[in-house]
Amino acid sequence: MKIFQTLGAGTLAAIERLGRMTLFLLEVLSHAGMMVKRFVLVVQQLYSVGVFTLPIVLVSGLFVGMVLGLQLYNTLVKFGAAESLGLVLALSLLRELGPVVTALLFAGRAGSALTAEIGLMKATEQLAGMEMMAVNPVMRVIAPRFLAGVIAMPLLAALFSAIGIYGGQMVGVGLLGVDSGAFWSQMQNGVDFHEDIMNGVIKSIVFGVVVTWIAVFEGYDAVPNSEGVSRATNHTVVYSSLAVLGLDFVMTSLMLGEI
Amino acid sequence: MESERVPAPAPSPGSDSLVELRGVSFSYNTRTILDNLTLSIPRGKVTAIMGGSGCGKTSLLNLIGGRLRPSQGEVLVDGQNVPSLNIRELYQLRKRMGMLFQHGALLTDLSVYENVAFPIREHARLPEAVLRNLVLMKLQAVGLRGARDLMPWELSGGMARRVALARAIVLEPMMIMYDEPFTGLDPISMGVIAKLIRELNQVLGITSIVVSHDVAEASMISDYAYLLGDGRILGQGTPTELQQSTSPHVRQFMDGLPDGPVPYTYPARNYLDDLLESRT
Repeated sequence: MKIFQTLGAGTLAAIERLGRMTLFLLEVLSHAGMMVKRFVLVVQQLYSVGVFTLPIVLVSGLFVGMVLGLQLYNTLVKFGAAESLGLVLALSLLRELGPVVTALLFAGRAGSALTAEIGLMKATEQLAGMEMMAVNPVMRVIAPRFLAGVIAMPLLAALFSAIGIYGGQMVGVGLLGVDSGAFWSQMQNGVDFHEDIMNGVIKSIVFGVVVTWIAVFEGYDAVPNSEGVSRATNHTVVYSSLAVLGLDFVMTSLMLGEI
Repeated sequence: MESERVPAPAPSPGSDSLVELRGVSFSYNTRTILDNLTLSIPRGKVTAIMGGSGCGKTSLLNLIGGRLRPSQGEVLVDGQNVPSLNIRELYQLRKRMGMLFQHGALLTDLSVYENVAFPIREHARLPEAVLRNLVLMKLQAVGLRGARDLMPWELSGGMARRVALARAIVLEPMMIMYDEPFTGLDPISMGVIAKLIRELNQVLGITSIVVSHDVAEASMISDYAYLLGDGRILGQGTPTELQQSTSPHVRQFMDGLPDGPVPYTYPARNYLDDLLESRT
């Protein structure tokens, strides 16, 4: 009997938390419009959320592109299709790896930092202090960070894909001898702006919303002590990663229309 | 030992109270923090709320500031019932309230100057020169004009609280709530904070509510004091009256006695049974 009680209580708590999370998102969105007037707050957060995540995204993108170039060449050459390396590389990065890997890196670097920052602001009564100064912390602290995350994600994903293609070209054309003209022309002919590039951009925007939403909510909802902030940071990385991978499957199946 | 319930004076209509609590109860989860509490804070005076840790002093401030809602009763601030205000009205009221948190609650990414300027930047559009003069005046009032360029992590505990005090008075509020302003301070910093609370009250006429368990300092600066415990008022009066009280609760708190109506031992099962359990 006790196992049912525990299961029921756990389910109710999860639903209740999801409800609070949704209400929190609605509150954040209701303040997002005001950020147009105070866009400088968003720019400040874009710097800490976007620019500080740039190095890890660029380095990872380069290596992912290089490994992908190596692996794809190894398979394609068996079928005499090594010239298609550029096309396959670009499609893999633009459709899947760019948005997904960037979102996972973003969750680990920027998402965890957002949660820890907001959680510690709560633990040190900075958010309570703002409330008592008649300043809404959701508007002043959360909304700019949320918007910055949503704006930064597609830009970072685009840079990840671009440098990944460059890494693949270095390996494929530079080291393995794939024809440069074929590499670029096949990519140019085979990549569709709407089907491939825009779908990738849509994915990264959705990932930006979800990862940043989880990160700011976990921080805002953290138990205000060191253990609570540590747990919230951990939750951000785990939940964001799972959400990104799960949503990627859902969105890919919707975009391809295969299932 | 059960103490007698000390009746609080019923606030009369039109009385000179800035804050009145009428029959306020507040619970956290299943634990009752405040139980049918009635008290009034006189306008323009320093009122101390004293009591042991966890007796509901900070909850009381949060109820007055509208950060918590009572399960029953009225919390009147300047005639407005705080729990019934909508968010816009509440924020308007909070612009006229200041609160000094236990550790200052300074924004760690802003300098001392920007911390003090923060409420003005959020609520008003003043020319930078006017804002600068205002901020420097408030910092001068707490003796930290020279520290304007420091960051919060470069300040001692006492200095951080003084900066927070400058920030709390920058909008010229009608009242300031101090949450444990003396905790963790050295004697000099404690004396500075006590002096500032008293001076701000006398010079600016700000009503002050000082929540503290520091009997000596709170008694020294307050005009009137309440002693809270078990969610209710255990004693009240001027600091001198409290010092002379014969109530066991008041005596235990004022004299710092380890045992009394508040027992030294946390409730537990029979000691012998507990020890013998390990042998079975």
